[in-house]
Amino acid sequence: MGLRWYHFAAWGAFILGLMALPELVSKGALRTIIFANYLAIFAISWDLLSGRTGYISFGHPFLIGIGAYTSAILTKRFGVDVEMAIPIAVVVTMLGGLVVLLPALRIKGSYFALVTLAFMELMYQLVQVIRPDLTGGTRGMSGIQTLTRGAVNGFYLSSVLMVIVAIAAWLLMRTRLGTALTAVGLNESAVEGSGLSTTKLKMVAFLASAFVAGLGGAFYVHYLGSIAPRALFDINFVFTIIVAVLIGGASTIIGPIIGAFFLTFLLEYLRPWLPGAERYFIYGGIALLLYMYQPKGIYYMLQSGWARLKGSTS
Amino acid sequence: MKLVKGMGVGLLSALMATTALAEIKVGFIGSLSSDTGLSTLRGAEMAIEELNAQGGVMGEKITLVTADTGEDVTEGVKAYEYLAETEEVDFIISGSIDDVSLGWLPRMQEFQIPTLDTWTSYIGIIDMVIEDPDTMAPYFMNIASDEALATLYINFGADVLKAKMGWDSVVVLAEDTAFGGAITGLVTDALAPVAGIEVKDVITYDVNTVDFGPIFSKAQASGADFIYQVSSVNSQVMSSQYVKLQVPMAMTGVNVSALGMEYWEDTGGAGGGISTLSPVPSVGFELDPVSAKFVEDYQAKYTSRPSIPHFNGFNAYHGLKQAMAAAAEAGGFKDVKAWNAAMLKQDLKLEKDGKLWLRYGFWQHGEVEPVTGRTYPQNARFDLSAPYDDAQPSMVVIQWKEDGTVGVVYPFEYANTEFELPSWIKK
Amino acid sequence: MIQILIQGLLLSGLYALIAVGFTLIFSVGRILNLAYGAYLMLGGYMYFWISQSMGMPKLFGVVIAVAFGVALGILKYQLIVKTLRGDHVAVEISTLILAVVLQAGVVLVFGDSSKILLPIIPGVVYIAGVPVTYNILAATLASWVILGGLYLFIKNTHTGRAMQAVSMDTKGAAISGIVPDHINMITWAISGGLGALGGVFFASYTQLAPSMWVAPLIISVAVVIVGGIGSIIGTLIVAHVVGFMEVSVVSLLSPELRGVFTMLLIILVLVMRPQGLFGREEL
Repeated sequence: MGLRWYHFAAWGAFILGLMALPELVSKGALRTIIFANYLAIFAISWDLLSGRTGYISFGHPFLIGIGAYTSAILTKRFGVDVEMAIPIAVVVTMLGGLVVLLPALRIKGSYFALVTLAFMELMYQLVQVIRPDLTGGTRGMSGIQTLTRGAVNGFYLSSVLMVIVAIAAWLLMRTRLGTALTAVGLNESAVEGSGLSTTKLKMVAFLASAFVAGLGGAFYVHYLGSIAPRALFDINFVFTIIVAVLIGGASTIIGPIIGAFFLTFLLEYLRPWLPGAERYFIYGGIALLLYMYQPKGIYYMLQSGWARLKGSTS
Repeated sequence: MKLVKGMGVGLLSALMATTALAEIKVGFIGSLSSDTGLSTLRGAEMAIEELNAQGGVMGEKITLVTADTGEDVTEGVKAYEYLAETEEVDFIISGSIDDVSLGWLPRMQEFQIPTLDTWTSYIGIIDMVIEDPDTMAPYFMNIASDEALATLYINFGADVLKAKMGWDSVVVLAEDTAFGGAITGLVTDALAPVAGIEVKDVITYDVNTVDFGPIFSKAQASGADFIYQVSSVNSQVMSSQYVKLQVPMAMTGVNVSALGMEYWEDTGGAGGGISTLSPVPSVGFELDPVSAKFVEDYQAKYTSRPSIPHFNGFNAYHGLKQAMAAAAEAGGFKDVKAWNAAMLKQDLKLEKDGKLWLRYGFWQHGEVEPVTGRTYPQNARFDLSAPYDDAQPSMVVIQWKEDGTVGVVYPFEYANTEFELPSWIKK
Repeated sequence: MIQILIQGLLLSGLYALIAVGFTLIFSVGRILNLAYGAYLMLGGYMYFWISQSMGMPKLFGVVIAVAFGVALGILKYQLIVKTLRGDHVAVEISTLILAVVLQAGVVLVFGDSSKILLPIIPGVVYIAGVPVTYNILAATLASWVILGGLYLFIKNTHTGRAMQAVSMDTKGAAISGIVPDHINMITWAISGGLGALGGVFFASYTQLAPSMWVAPLIISVAVVIVGGIGSIIGTLIVAHVVGFMEVSVVSLLSPELRGVFTMLLIILVLVMRPQGLFGREEL
């Protein structure tokens, strides 16, 4: 995989920094970081599929929602232990996503995006119509078991989860598999021509993405303690995830994390200045301008800035 | 020795200075861009102003901070966390809608901050209070729960729809949501035995329905005497199409968008003939002197919509004062059990012409309501049987006339107009 | 059954009006304009502001709304599409962000309460015992006229044929002397105007709300996917398929399943015949 010492150093520093945070920042900031962590997990999940292979999915909340609802229903309605419910939720997400979305991978480009959007809308309708006694219907459910109490514990859990997901994804992408996936994103027909099965590759990317989405969704619902279809199967959620990845830098691991943190903190820190609806307007406006200025993302900006610095000193 | 004394005095005065600057922080959680949220916010603002003018509470001034939810569930959770962890408020007043309240409820249970909910009426939350009184101790809901609203509506069916209009069959048109399902269940289970009205059919529709034509045709085909509407989401779409299509069937029920004075302006006048149940005090409700003064002061202070606070504004105004009084008795908001006990005892009776008109009080634990036979701890007091001398009725039925005026048609003790059919229905 | 026929026809007319602007951009520019629903939203709000808030004559309000839509389309093209030249994904994402920003903007200006528009043409008429508002009748007639006119425009005028050429092969069109940039701009302008007009009718049928851009977008997406790109007639036919299916599901099955069937239809078509029922082979 070509791991160098500075890889270990960088990850090590990152982890140490995270663990030290509760001493340095306020509880309020910790809460914001928790949300940012979960968004980062969802963003990495999206990036694994859409960032790498170029199959833009507009219905990612579909996968997250399956994970969240499965775990919520199992723990709340059937009294299943949460240690069992979460793994089951992940498996169900992967299965459900596979059965439903795999045929769609035959389709390219914009059509794929539309199918995924259609699936998300479908889930939104189904969750309210099919067995609302289990799903809580339109109003959703409250009083779902939480795994942690308090800002600090929630922070540690979400951070550990995020770091594990990030490192796992990072390692995966450094294998030959990862390279092949990026190749698919760049030129699928060339990859076909070289004898590799793009279908198998896409399936792997998809399963990895679904795994993370289901995992993230299940832990997320056990952090919130509540679930509502309007919060999950919403085009605004799609927007947040995609923008987080693209502003941060697609096809990387650190990019989605940067983007997630940037967006979450931007929205939250505008709160004291712009209490009401202006906040969303400015937040959206900044996101739009930033994206149009640099569609490749912040990570790319940092990289090229660093390269320029190195280049100018040599 | 003198130095130590001097330092002691200095320290003491510094200490006293800081406690003099201490304040009570109230947090508002709700949408800052909706009439609902603004009603609660302004009611709270006015209560705080009056209390501060009288010297504050326990010698401390009250300050207000806001946290916007944009009526989004996830933002609601973030807003509650913001109020609790960053602003460190002592008390929270909520103008959130049902699913947003359900979203931040786990946080309230964790932080144990006394919270007053002024709009959400979901009976499931009161069930949570009964099941788990310890973690739910900080939560008070000062609007009658939705089940109480629906129960009294059955009486409207018996006293007006059956007795006066002579109808004995109904078709229910309910939205496909948890709210729709709950109210429909209540109506179908109770309407026949209590009011003697037969439910011919229950038609459930998708909230995003664009065209209600086919649905109204289905309703007409059922052969019922009238339509019972159950809609909280996009309710204006159904009712405005009802008016525009001039459906030849009477319709009444629950139409959440018709609860504010801006309804007429928002519908461009296509809202005449619509009747709905409404929490108290509704639009078109005759007010007692205290509430009337509140509205007068409100209109002097605020020039943007809503022109008259929705019922939750009144709830916020009286409720916040009660919460402060309870805090004064309990020595603050920190001891949640003590505050809870003091808040339960709060009881404000408002009279009009020597008769009990409105009562802002709470049901106690274990106190059984005679008509429904169940308890509603920490829920606003209401009365379900005439002549309503224990508290106000849980709801009134209002009707918008085709000329833009609105009045109360039921219960008769509070009515100021008659229930009528829209002009295009020939009977 | 007459009732289903009539109601289906009327709803389909409305859907066709809404979807045609979206089809145009997708067919000619190959771009998913996710902010398309925003044209409808803004067109509706503009009409509301002019005709209802300020009390000006209705026709004037419609004209202003359409003009606003055209201007918005051109602006979007110049500022977003051209800046991100060729990067389809970037444009699609940008349009999504724009839609969210516009929604927030509308909440800022108009508040988030839903508003009901006065019908463009008030009154109700009974056709074969089925109540029909003049409003939706007008919408259906307008959609037929506009779609017919658009079809003739594309087939018979120079600009229209240029649009077809660009839609089939941009490079080839450029070689034969057409300026793709101009054609694209015209397409976006027409799409904006049509969207705004559709919005006025859609809003006058349902309601005006800041979140109203999502539902028409889904409808347009459904029609485009099922109908296939590059076909105006396809759009018209599929709008009727979707409209009739909805009305049938509501009247014969259960109204709560309305949305589910539409989504299933999209998914089915996409999986079985991705180019749509009437589309060309290539994607």
